[in-house]
Amino acid sequence: MSDNSTAIFGYNSLSFELIAQLVKKQTKIIILDSDPEKIELAKKNQLIAYQLDYRQDDDLIEIGIGSTLNTLFCFLEHDSENVFLTLSARSLDKNINIISLVSHPESAEKLFSAGANRVIDPYEICSNKVYQLLSKPHLTWLLDHVVFGRADLNMAEITIPENSILDKTSTQNLCIHEKYNLFLIGVVDKELGEKLYFSLGEQDHMLDVGDILVILGAHRDIKHFKKEIGIID
Amino acid sequence: MLTRFTLYLAYSIKTSEWHHRNKRFFYDLLENPKSKIKPYFDIFMITLVMSSVFILIHEVKNESNLWSIYFEHFVVSIFLCEYLLRGWIYSDIHLIIIQHHENTKYLGQPFSLAKVSQQILKNKLGYIFSPSAIIDLLAILPSYRPLRILRVFLIFRLFKLLRYSQSIQMFTGILKSKQFELTTLAIFMGFLIFIASTAIYIFEHQSVGGQIDTLYDAFYWAVVTISTVGYGDITPLSTGGRLVTSALIISGLGVLAFFTSIIVAAFNEKMSEFQKDKIKSSIEKSKDSIILCGFGRVGQEIAQQLYENKKNFIVIDPNKQHADLAMQKGYITLNEDASTNSTLLHAGINHGAKTVLCVTGDDVINVYITLTSRHLNAGINIISRANRDDNVKKLYQAGANHIVQPFSIAGLLASEHIGQPVAFDAIQGILHQQKEGQIDAIPVLKQSFLDGITIEQAELSQYKTGLLGVISSNPSHTKRRNRYKLRNQHFYFNPEANFILNEGDILVLLGRQLSIEFLQSLIEKSHLSARKEAL
Repeated sequence: MSDNSTAIFGYNSLSFELIAQLVKKQTKIIILDSDPEKIELAKKNQLIAYQLDYRQDDDLIEIGIGSTLNTLFCFLEHDSENVFLTLSARSLDKNINIISLVSHPESAEKLFSAGANRVIDPYEICSNKVYQLLSKPHLTWLLDHVVFGRADLNMAEITIPENSILDKTSTQNLCIHEKYNLFLIGVVDKELGEKLYFSLGEQDHMLDVGDILVILGAHRDIKHFKKEIGIID
Repeated sequence: MLTRFTLYLAYSIKTSEWHHRNKRFFYDLLENPKSKIKPYFDIFMITLVMSSVFILIHEVKNESNLWSIYFEHFVVSIFLCEYLLRGWIYSDIHLIIIQHHENTKYLGQPFSLAKVSQQILKNKLGYIFSPSAIIDLLAILPSYRPLRILRVFLIFRLFKLLRYSQSIQMFTGILKSKQFELTTLAIFMGFLIFIASTAIYIFEHQSVGGQIDTLYDAFYWAVVTISTVGYGDITPLSTGGRLVTSALIISGLGVLAFFTSIIVAAFNEKMSEFQKDKIKSSIEKSKDSIILCGFGRVGQEIAQQLYENKKNFIVIDPNKQHADLAMQKGYITLNEDASTNSTLLHAGINHGAKTVLCVTGDDVINVYITLTSRHLNAGINIISRANRDDNVKKLYQAGANHIVQPFSIAGLLASEHIGQPVAFDAIQGILHQQKEGQIDAIPVLKQSFLDGITIEQAELSQYKTGLLGVISSNPSHTKRRNRYKLRNQHFYFNPEANFILNEGDILVLLGRQLSIEFLQSLIEKSHLSARKEAL
């Protein structure tokens, strides 16, 4: 097993889309499930898959928790299973990135206290989206395409590298709209902590190495921008 | 000659628009429980009845003055009008005549005026002898001077209140539904009273040293005792009399308990029916409502948002637990199966509803509800939930306008997290429409201050908002870059400074809720003032 791989627990309807997206991004993933039939199915779909009982710590160590795995998705069907898995994984590895699904809002807190980094509630997102479709139908299309990158528009985050031309520029002088045809959504100013500040013209941020820009734009424009500031050649 | 005239009159009434309109109006005023004016009329009548009875009470001790006599005349004339109008709208005389005329013509027999009048009389007598009409008449009659002796019947005016109050009608309805039990009880009670009063008459008659003189005394004593009231003005002295008393008191307790339980049970039975009626009438009243099928996790969250934003919606869930929960929260709820035609029709899919949401956890049911809704109403907006990818196509085929896939959105979001955790947070924030940063769409209204100016002139940044793009169907922009197709219009991402805004364009903005709402109100204000000037 190689370094920096991602493990997904649960090969079911909850995780199909996630797997499809990750495969598209060429992330190294391994699928784990306790049901041999599902493992067979995953293998048929040319995915790396192992049958595994998530309750055994030894098995978890064997697949690379604490060593090669750096991200873990808990997409099991029951909240209790996800909490248990999160707890086990966190006790084995302090730094692993754990993202879990939650189906009851009260379980979210339990997952966080068990050590999950992020919690996703599909039902809440779904209901928000349905409500949005009702109240703002135009927006929904936009969010679908922009936020989820189904059109050419993409959201990207860019960490400012060392020796970049952007170092010590203020966000107001960035002129990202005109120069690069991009929309600046927000900034994480490391001097002020990890919080994302939406770019609404309320506050001017001085950019330093390590600050993060969240931008929106066409794929080629983002690429062009990355080249300009020296992330890619 | 008279026959021909009658027929002419009947047919001309039938075709008279004026007549129908008036009859309809009075029907709405007096009888139609769903009309909007009836409640006002009812309140007016209740006030009249109460004040006339109050004057009656006042006159028991005081001399009547001129004003009260005038008022009495006024009240009585109103009552009389009401009585006659009710008689008029009770049935259509001209229809009876026409019916009879057509029947006789078909059978080849002569048209008989006498027969027709007989039919009409029979019909109207049906009205006159209906209980409520009798009460109405009794409330009017005592005012006629030669019948002054009937003054006590003025109390019947209070019975008139029955007509105007729904809760009293409800109570009489309950009594009616338990007619059999109540009759049985009454017969039993009659027997008991009869036996007890005869027995007490024998044991306690004055001739044998008791206090009872007549059979009426015995009856009065029996009623007082059986009801467990027991005034004690007549008390049994003999052993036999006391035995009868004890027996009567014990059976009286039984009778009372039986009576109470009948009424309570009837209330319980009827209560759900009344609730259903109430739900039905509230559904009928609601406009632009949303039919929410399925009250699971997703349904509950949507209902919460709809409720907070004061939207009209109707929850349908066949699961009793879910339906109870929805009712507890005060939502209009139907505990029925949403996939049947009748349920959706009840919920108002063909009147008042504008959107159907199918958000049950089962795709098969969602497809079925979608299909049923589309079949019932071709124009309604249907948003459906698909849990599996393969079912998306089926839902579109079934007629859904929009489809939401909870697990695929969650998967997309989760995959964003790899490599882009900050963007992930931004997306989550935007999806949740948080206050400090949300994306919103604001339409440019006709002749508002934005109509016809360029983006540079609009200076949207002064409102602390960022312009993501513009949705426009204006053909003049079609040569611009960053154009994305959106149904029959286009989305222009990051538009250049010389982009001219026009009426009907939609601005897509990123900003705090506060600033977006402020900008929206500015646009609306300038639009309204421009319209005022134009007028």
